[in-house]
Amino acid sequence: MMKQKRSSLLGGVTLATLATVILMPLLLPSATLATEILIFAMAALACNLLLGYTGLLSFGQGIFFGGGAYIASICMIHWNFGLLSALLSAMLAGALLAGLVGALSIRRKGIYFVMLTLSFSQMAYFIAYSVSDWTGGDNGLLDIPRPALTLLGFEISNLVSSEAFYAFVATLFMLIFIFARRVIHSPFGTTLVAIRENENRASAVGFSTNHFKLLAFVISGGITGIAGALYAMLLNFAPLSNIELQMSENILIMTIIGGTGSLFGSILGAGSIVLLGDVLSSVWPRWMILLGIALIAVVLFMPSGLWGGLGSIADRWREYRRSKEPEAKSREAN
Amino acid sequence: MNDYILETEGLGLRYGAFAALGSVDLKIRRGSIHTVIGPNGAGKTTLFHCLTGERKPSSGNIQFAGTNITSQAAHKRVAAGMSRSFQITSLFQNLSVHENLRLAAQGRDGLGALSFWYSDQHRREHSDKADEVIERIKLGAVADTCAGELSHGQQRVLEVGMALCSNPQMLLLDEPTSGMGVDDIPVMTQLIAELGRDHTVMLIEHNMRLVMSISDRITVMHQGNILIEGDPDEVSGDKRVKKAYLGESGS
Repeated sequence: MMKQKRSSLLGGVTLATLATVILMPLLLPSATLATEILIFAMAALACNLLLGYTGLLSFGQGIFFGGGAYIASICMIHWNFGLLSALLSAMLAGALLAGLVGALSIRRKGIYFVMLTLSFSQMAYFIAYSVSDWTGGDNGLLDIPRPALTLLGFEISNLVSSEAFYAFVATLFMLIFIFARRVIHSPFGTTLVAIRENENRASAVGFSTNHFKLLAFVISGGITGIAGALYAMLLNFAPLSNIELQMSENILIMTIIGGTGSLFGSILGAGSIVLLGDVLSSVWPRWMILLGIALIAVVLFMPSGLWGGLGSIADRWREYRRSKEPEAKSREAN
Repeated sequence: MNDYILETEGLGLRYGAFAALGSVDLKIRRGSIHTVIGPNGAGKTTLFHCLTGERKPSSGNIQFAGTNITSQAAHKRVAAGMSRSFQITSLFQNLSVHENLRLAAQGRDGLGALSFWYSDQHRREHSDKADEVIERIKLGAVADTCAGELSHGQQRVLEVGMALCSNPQMLLLDEPTSGMGVDDIPVMTQLIAELGRDHTVMLIEHNMRLVMSISDRITVMHQGNILIEGDPDEVSGDKRVKKAYLGESGS
């Protein structure tokens, strides 16, 4: 059952997220790994706005991720864009691409909608592959700079160390997280849930649902574009695989494993997939098989994802405690 | 001000050679409860869909509150003051009764609800409207329950409540008692009679006792056209109506 949770923008889940973001680099072997988790958490969060809140299964997320990575890289390499302006262009590129893909895909519903996003994804891959003068084609774009963070002409940090870059990505992530919380608890966000629940009814009470779906796409694409740009800056490299269908799948898998309809779930999903990949790939080169098994297990046994799974375990624990309490009390009385 | 809130002229809808609606001239007086009845396949639901904008008529036109809305999209008619309920219950099943109604009230904002930068708690008007409607349809005890967990009768009442949230001038109710048990029907009858005091209500209904007790005016449809129209007494005494219901047409 989805009951609307009403907590303030900065309390509750936001605090839990902040704690996670602060603890992650301390608990994980490297800040780079933590950065990668946050970048994918950002992409999963954006995907969640579409899948979890609007009910749109989009295979286009890789387009916005790869597009953001390419645009930011090209702006930095060819036109010496700074850090923030490169991120801004990635956001605009992601939003624009999502606007295009969204506007055409939402004209169909259900399986046809999914097929359209899938086709766009394939098309984007081949476009990126063929304009190799700009994208480096199969080799990817090499030597992508990571500019220093400057505000009003003052250099705040050169972001060379992986810790400094983590701090920057973490700040950005928190801002985006708070923004996403604002979005889902706004009139717009509650209308998205209405569309997910019953699109016909939503339209009958007066919402022109396509406008809402389109804006959801644009917001999701903008955030995904930023994530893609950060990923390019992290690796100093923008591989063609950024825009592959596999990237869209990965983002979707993270979103589903973490739990659709919960923003914190997106961090769990991204965290577990990135970590599993990191740990398993050093043990066994065919680790994707294990990932497949993990995905099947989560979908079968925790249909609402890790976040929902944790929630129901907590509920059971509380019930168990409650059932024990009267016994304990009667024992005390004796 | 015109005496009639809704007028259709030669309204027709054809599917290929088959005319689901022939040529319907319907006038609905402001502030009345106007019921459309007729045997299965008479074209009641098709007429309803044309009025709400779900189907586009192939001929004729529709005037609502003085403007031509024949080809206006369904969601725009809500903002113009027309609101509908569904024959097959269509709610936001996993959301609370209050949230269902709040969303329905928000629907009147149309594209204004696209604003994603402020909290939905910021503006109380929709929430207040939901509270007001909850009181009116007497679902206060289950305000925080998920719509999907309500009894069928309560869901039907909520269905009508949703239509009320947009401050409509006119309510279109598609078989409000459909599937309801005998015990629940008086509740619905009373609710509709009450709504009729503040709104124009047009409804499609099969339950004759309800129809005869609350309607100001009844239109009987048969094979895509209006058979007769009159007040309950005129209609219940008419021979053609009985004939139509017994199906002597052989179709």
